[in-house]
Amino acid sequence: MLKKIASVRGILSIFLFLSIIYAGYCIYYKVEYWGFHFTPKQTANIWSIEAHISFEPTGEPIKVSLTTPRSNDSFKVLEENTIAEGYKISKNKTASRLIMTSPAREELQDIYYKILLFDNTDSRGKTKSAAPATPEAPIFDEQKLAAAKQLLKLAQAREGDPVSQIIRLLNEEPMHPAVQAYLPVKTTQKIMVEIISDLLALKKIPSQIARGFKLQESKKSLSPDLMIEAYTNGSWRIYDIKTGKKGIPDNFVLFQRGGQSLIDVEGGENSVIKFSVLKSITSSMKLAGQRAKLLNQEDRFQYSIYNLPLAQQNTLKWLSIFPLAILMIVLMRNVIGLQTMGTFTPMLLAMSLIKTGFWPGMLCFAIIMTLGLLIRFVMSKFNLLLVPRISAVVIFVILIMQSLTIIGYQLDFHIAQSAVFFPIIIMSWIIERASITWEEDGALNACREIIFSLVVAIATYFVISSEYIRHIMFAFNELNLVVLFMVMLLGTYTGYRLMELKRFRPLVKK
Amino acid sequence: MFAWLKSFASPKELSKAGVLGMNRRNFDIISQYNPRCLYPLVDDKVKTKELANKIGISTPRLIGIIEYQYEAKNILDIIHGQKEFVIKPAQGSGGKGVLVIKDYQEEGHFFTTASGRQLAYNEVYQHISNILSGLYSLGGKYDTAIVEELVHFSDIFKDYSYQGVPDVRVIVYKGYPAMAMTRLPTKASGGRANLHQGAIGVGLDISNGKALHGVCRDIPITIQPDTGADLMKIEVPYWREHLLIGALAYEMTGLGYLGADIVLDARRGPMMLELNARPGLAIQIANGIGLKNCLKEIDKSYPSGLSAEERVDFVLNKRAK
Ligand SMILES: Nc1ncnc2c1ncn2[C@@H]1O[C@H](COP(=O)(O)OP(=O)(O)O)[C@@H](O)[C@H]1O
Repeated sequence: MLKKIASVRGILSIFLFLSIIYAGYCIYYKVEYWGFHFTPKQTANIWSIEAHISFEPTGEPIKVSLTTPRSNDSFKVLEENTIAEGYKISKNKTASRLIMTSPAREELQDIYYKILLFDNTDSRGKTKSAAPATPEAPIFDEQKLAAAKQLLKLAQAREGDPVSQIIRLLNEEPMHPAVQAYLPVKTTQKIMVEIISDLLALKKIPSQIARGFKLQESKKSLSPDLMIEAYTNGSWRIYDIKTGKKGIPDNFVLFQRGGQSLIDVEGGENSVIKFSVLKSITSSMKLAGQRAKLLNQEDRFQYSIYNLPLAQQNTLKWLSIFPLAILMIVLMRNVIGLQTMGTFTPMLLAMSLIKTGFWPGMLCFAIIMTLGLLIRFVMSKFNLLLVPRISAVVIFVILIMQSLTIIGYQLDFHIAQSAVFFPIIIMSWIIERASITWEEDGALNACREIIFSLVVAIATYFVISSEYIRHIMFAFNELNLVVLFMVMLLGTYTGYRLMELKRFRPLVKK
Repeated sequence: MFAWLKSFASPKELSKAGVLGMNRRNFDIISQYNPRCLYPLVDDKVKTKELANKIGISTPRLIGIIEYQYEAKNILDIIHGQKEFVIKPAQGSGGKGVLVIKDYQEEGHFFTTASGRQLAYNEVYQHISNILSGLYSLGGKYDTAIVEELVHFSDIFKDYSYQGVPDVRVIVYKGYPAMAMTRLPTKASGGRANLHQGAIGVGLDISNGKALHGVCRDIPITIQPDTGADLMKIEVPYWREHLLIGALAYEMTGLGYLGADIVLDARRGPMMLELNARPGLAIQIANGIGLKNCLKEIDKSYPSGLSAEERVDFVLNKRAK
């Protein structure tokens, strides 16, 4: 006997253990690769960046080459879209440039390039690469060289690594006289980058320019921000040219790295490129498919719940909370020892409470129960047969619900309208059971059964009403497997129930 | 602040006292020793009665059965020549739907119940119809109505119970009577012998049928509240016959763990009213001792392969020592 339990329990424990590991793996997987969150209503920002290129054709064949962000540069590209009528479009993957060619044209040309990006905050601002050639020292006259060397010396007293030191020095407020003397009167970002680059070259640190956008919504068109990338310790690191901070700032998307130009237009002149950035928000769940696609894991995603039509997803979301509610019932009955009316009645009540809200639901429940019991008591005088009797109760319950809803509507008392969410048959059975218990075992036992059922229903309600728990059970639906084996394992629980500790208390010898 | 905690025992204490809990009863005992396929033998009183007659357990004599609604009018033929009888559902539980007719006048078809209520024929007809439609059976299944001989309860319990009829419940484990109690109706229980309705349970010494300990609504008592009788003076006569019914019930059904409900007829001695494949655990409270240790002892040191009589004698001798 003992051996049999041990083995059943052992097997179930192993299954439970395996299911926990499996669920753990799936959770890791979904969080890591599909971008699922533990908290509900998580949103991800999707940025759409639009580049508008315009130029006047010169009458020669046209070739436009535009640099594009690489998807492995910290932002993932969801969608790329080019509107360039009549152009032949090709992509140079290695240089990540978009090339559009067309025979000669006459009118003013407008080309739109649009990408949708989302932040995946993986590898940020650090690109491993083979060492580039040591930069040639800039050709400075003596005076300038001396000034530059002085700056480099001054920079050493600043914070950070050599690159940051230089940037910080140049941006210092108030400006150091030496810096003031060195910088031209008017500096642009581009000039700043060049100056930094020259200074770095003096120190034999290779550097290059990088362009990108700070992703923030703005109506007006933007021009890209410049940053500098320096090669130190075996990889390219990016620096903000204003603060000297290392790494790509949050919400900054790199468009172009290295010495390439942002845009080259052959067969055109006066080319202008304007950017605009727009933000949209989607739930991170919706993005999961796109992420999976990027990772070539479409199959796996296609056979998951999250690829279903939304209406079905909602139904399944509702269903995936059931196992937890069932676990609650099992705990309440077999571990706590509360006797309820019908096994799953409390669970169904809890489900209704979710739809109605707690207090409105409780109020409606109380009203339906009271009226139903009253009617049932009157009916018991008629000595009806079982099936017609319970059927009559069902009809009464429906009538009560209808009246409640109508009255609730007329009196603008909205909570009364939630009556319709209670399962009619279940309510009828509760009324029937309660009145039979009442007649046979007295009001005390009947009330106790109702109260116990309510207690279990309320406890279940509080577990499943949490948006958080509901989200987790849906997003990580493998947890239901864990619940399954927990329930089965509870089926081998032979210890005392909590209520028995009280009930059998007199048997303990003092 | 934690005073209410004192009303709880620790699991360790209960285990030490040998208390059998519901989960362990279901998992270790009922699911081990009571195969589901045997349940129909005890769920249907007609079947139980047939089997009991075969093996020699006395039960109230069957007068007739009514299976279908159209047969309900046959009741008059069935009870022809009977003065007193009982109509009850074959699959009822907890005493539901039991109609005890103490006096039946064939002329005019007047029925008088045990409580003195007068019933007309159509009321009895309605009652039978209710039984057949499943009003009193679990889950509302269609049922059969049984008409059986009235038991003339012996007077010995008269002082101990209020109206109603006391019975003796014997728990039989692997064929050995393990624990027993008598259930005495009270005013509070409405004359019914169900503990959860407020009847008194008095644990009986398995070796001699003498009162050990009494409870009412889980609270120990020694005096019957309605009659003032001293419960501790109870001594059930024909004790060996009581135990023998229990032991034979094991042979009859094959259930390793069962409860036999036995009533004492003034003329014919102990009679089995019904068997239960999932007897409750309240008997432990009535006896003031846990059941687990009893069962363990039976597992460990009681011989197997004995006949029913030998088992009863084994129990009587063992405990007497
Ligand atoms: N043949 C009978 N004679 C007298 N009383 C009876 C008879 N059968 C049943 N009763 C009464 O009805 C009660 C319940 O009967 P029982 O057969 O045990 O039904 P249940 O299975 O519903 O408990 C008994 O305790 C007894 O008081």
